[in-house]
Amino acid sequence: MTAPTTSMTIPPVQDETSAPFWEAAREGRFLIQRCPETGRFQWYPRAHSIHAPHARPEWVEASGRGELLTYSVVHRGNQRGDPYVCALIRLEEGVTVFSRVEGVAEADLRAGLPLAVAFHQLDEAISLPVFRPRTPD
Amino acid sequence: MIDLSGKAAIAGVFESPRRDAPRVHPFALQMDCILGALDDAGLTLKDVDGLCAASGDWAEGGSTMDVVELAEYIGIAPTYVNSTDVGGCSYILQAGQAAAAIATGLAEVVVISYAACPRWWPLSSPSFDPFVFPAGPGQYEIPYAPTLISTYGLFARRHMDLYGTTPEQLAQVAVTFREHAATNPDARLRKPITVDDVLASPMIASPLHRLDCCVVTDGGGAVVMTSRERARDLKKPPVHLVGYGAAVARTQNSQIPDDLTTPAALSGPRAFAMAGLTPGEIDVAQIYDAFTITPMLALEDLGFCGRGESGAFVADGNLTLGGRLPTNTDGGGLSSNHPGKRGIFTLIESVRQLRGEGPGVQVPDARIALAHGLGGTFCSAATAILAR
Repeated sequence: MTAPTTSMTIPPVQDETSAPFWEAAREGRFLIQRCPETGRFQWYPRAHSIHAPHARPEWVEASGRGELLTYSVVHRGNQRGDPYVCALIRLEEGVTVFSRVEGVAEADLRAGLPLAVAFHQLDEAISLPVFRPRTPD
Repeated sequence: MIDLSGKAAIAGVFESPRRDAPRVHPFALQMDCILGALDDAGLTLKDVDGLCAASGDWAEGGSTMDVVELAEYIGIAPTYVNSTDVGGCSYILQAGQAAAAIATGLAEVVVISYAACPRWWPLSSPSFDPFVFPAGPGQYEIPYAPTLISTYGLFARRHMDLYGTTPEQLAQVAVTFREHAATNPDARLRKPITVDDVLASPMIASPLHRLDCCVVTDGGGAVVMTSRERARDLKKPPVHLVGYGAAVARTQNSQIPDDLTTPAALSGPRAFAMAGLTPGEIDVAQIYDAFTITPMLALEDLGFCGRGESGAFVADGNLTLGGRLPTNTDGGGLSSNHPGKRGIFTLIESVRQLRGEGPGVQVPDARIALAHGLGGTFCSAATAILAR
């Protein structure tokens, strides 16, 4: 766990569907959903499977590993502190998530950069997943 | 099924010349535009039985029943309304649906109206992406504080990686539309710029610089539509809606398709099919340009160039007067006017071009125009094809 950056100040509103995700995040685990009928993964979490709409998706722990798909460094606009990196990350399971990339100099950002999930503890209820560089497998 | 092509026409248009309207409520600006467009058509408020608006967003003045509030403010009781809000292209979508309402007898004279005053609006701006709450789907993204521009940055960066698009090619979009704005007396910015100027302007959200971004104006516009038959006898030559399509796709960044296809790939072909036309037959285009990447993806999805080829298409001068597809002839959102949802201006400038009234550069004898917009961050799209 590391300290949250100052610009991450809008807490997510948990609900019945998302509670298991945030509960796991507090324990440092990144969950995604899998369709019980097709076996396909989905992100973001929903109360139904987008692959079989009458099926209720099941939670599975993701590897937490992925690659940088694309990014934008926010220099001006919303931030109250230093520039930060908004990014799409392709997880090994094949789904794309939106998050922050941390611990990489702007000049070193590139598509395909190997990343792994880490967690920022915003408060007692919320640990927010972010992504940091990892050594390639 | 009714063949909608050519059944309805735009009879009047008006774009407010204002770009700053301090302490003017957006409804007051809308009223100026509505009266201006009705006067352009030779109609009065008494003729209006349909009202379309999407005024419930920040700096637009309305609330959740915005079209009702607006009707009351204007002082009319319309029997056809549409306040579908799919972002910046809402007014193009509303034009297509107004045409259907007119063709089926639900309405006879429909006003589509828009204004926003973001430069002075006193109520606070949302501190997060304005399109979603940090609840439901947004709880997985909003806490990271994505900005609107950074989401366009995600698209632009990936386009560069996939297709070799360069910052210089992106900048050329802004340079071209500034050339068109130079002769538009109402354009917010008219001083010519170079590619180097764009690249030297401050980085907002990489890879987009300040001059890759639209202006922020107070402004508004209105469009009057009626039947083909009624439009024939009005003050100005009618401009017929011959093609229309719309589509919505996503709001969350995680749902951006790998190849950057946007819902314009659905709206465009529907519009061309209804019109019985191909992209090569368009004389002039107005394509929503919130950021330099915005019209580039539309050019690909609408079929004006191949997937990934928009950078070269722009750099080759195709969007300039005399190019294959003169685009944003009034200076567009990048240089002329962008209060927040500028889709209505793509309709207005299309009509001006078809009448020979373009305030920026005028395409000689333009006969067929395309007005295309997107909403949000390529979340939605609407396309209209207009002909004299």
